[in-house]
Amino acid sequence: MKYLMLIYGNQEKWASIPAEELSDGIAKQDAFNHKYRDTGELLGAYGLADEVQAKLVRREGGQPAVTDGPYLETKEYIASFYLLDCENEERALQIAADMPWADQAPVELWPILHEAKPEL
Amino acid sequence: MTGADGHTEDLLRELAPQVLGALVRKHGQFHLCEDATQEALLAAATQWQASGPPDNPRAWLSTVATRRLLDLMRSEVSRRDREDRVAAATPQSELLGAPADEPALDSDDSLALLFGCCHPLLPVPSQVALTLRAVGGLTTAQIAAAFGVPEATMAQRISRAKQDIKASGLDLTVPEDPERTQRLRSVLHVLYLIFNEGYATTSGDQLVVPELSREAIRLTRWLHQLVPSDSEVTGLLALMLLTDARRPARTLPDGSMVPLAEQDRGKWDRQLIAEGTALITAALPVGQPGPYQLQAAIAAVHDEAATMDDTDWQQVLSLYDLLVAIAPNPFTSLNRAVAVAMVRGPAAGLDIIAGLETDKRMARQHRLIAAKAHLLELAGDTAAAAANYREAARRTTSLPERRYLSGQAQRLGADRG
Repeated sequence: MKYLMLIYGNQEKWASIPAEELSDGIAKQDAFNHKYRDTGELLGAYGLADEVQAKLVRREGGQPAVTDGPYLETKEYIASFYLLDCENEERALQIAADMPWADQAPVELWPILHEAKPEL
Repeated sequence: MTGADGHTEDLLRELAPQVLGALVRKHGQFHLCEDATQEALLAAATQWQASGPPDNPRAWLSTVATRRLLDLMRSEVSRRDREDRVAAATPQSELLGAPADEPALDSDDSLALLFGCCHPLLPVPSQVALTLRAVGGLTTAQIAAAFGVPEATMAQRISRAKQDIKASGLDLTVPEDPERTQRLRSVLHVLYLIFNEGYATTSGDQLVVPELSREAIRLTRWLHQLVPSDSEVTGLLALMLLTDARRPARTLPDGSMVPLAEQDRGKWDRQLIAEGTALITAALPVGQPGPYQLQAAIAAVHDEAATMDDTDWQQVLSLYDLLVAIAPNPFTSLNRAVAVAMVRGPAAGLDIIAGLETDKRMARQHRLIAAKAHLLELAGDTAAAAANYREAARRTTSLPERRYLSGQAQRLGADRG
């Protein structure tokens, strides 16, 4: 069963982390990624660019209309996502609880229902 | 085994566990033997394609795999002692190829291999992956595709499992009873999981991934030949055949699912039903029936009925009573509740479901909610049935199931309007 783990945040929050803690935090995150890649349960870990890089795409009269963000109502936005493939929900919850930052911010966990597979 | 035609591929996959099993018995070193066997299989797939299979395919593979194993051992630095041991233990004749009259099947080696791959010490997904590769002879890419994960991930899972076997110094021999029977149960569990993954994929948009259930049947057939006297092995094989027989009727061309009650029974595979029924009929009278035999017997009762109304529900219920007694499980109780409803009326079934709902985890299960919806509909409470179908649709993690359950909710909603 595949799961999506989502981490939220914002610049203010990240900027408040002291530099000496940041490198330690990154190292812990790297160790986490390594650990679950090794077990074959982490399919990918992706960090997103800042919200100012995000674009909003609409189609108006058949033509694409691209505008910049921000356009979010939420105070925090998606910072990174992790794709897991593990035996069951219990295991996914266990991995989510092992996220180094989980004691500071919650980790969202979504079962993945549908997968459009690329043609092989 | 890309590049090999169907016949060659079948032959290679049949020989793979025999070659690997013999190699492991002689040299230990499961992880290296497995790599060596895979490479021999790949070499065979290309060469036999061009020039046809050799006179003794198994000896050809053993020879190539043994040579490759020696290469692999040599390349492992500071392991000269082991290399010497292997070289000394390997008769020259072995490197030239075994005689053509060597027995074709060494059942102990094959069993030992299967036991090793399904060792309870390994995480279950690794047991599944390793069994498909080492025993099933599938390539890592094929296994990755079947489970919808990147090949690199599956490679990591397999290599980790092999490292675990190496690190734990697992004894790759067939243990004596009673451990043998117990370990055989974990093998059956892995085969059952492979079949289920193919029959009702736990995620994704395809309800049926035929390759995996076919592979599970092939491996279970093979295990049945190795241990014909184990009636649970027979039971599992029968269960798979009797379940797979319904495959043609289970999905519509657009991929949506058709529940048992609405299936076109004319599309069921009569040959598989006959074979499964014969197996379970022969196995049942031998001793105390285990859970796989009972599930197979239930499947056989369903498969025998020409229509849903012809189903011998009393018989189904008696079998569920036995199953709940020997292998208690909330999902078995749930299935039993449906059988109770068919025999004694929906209210009796709903009573049992109410009992199961006291377990909070069970109460959130979409299968329980869907069964409740079905029984409420039978009881005539259309509004509650529609609400439960809707809730079950929200809780399932299978897309075809969600489509089906939403459809049921809509149908009942429309009935009211």
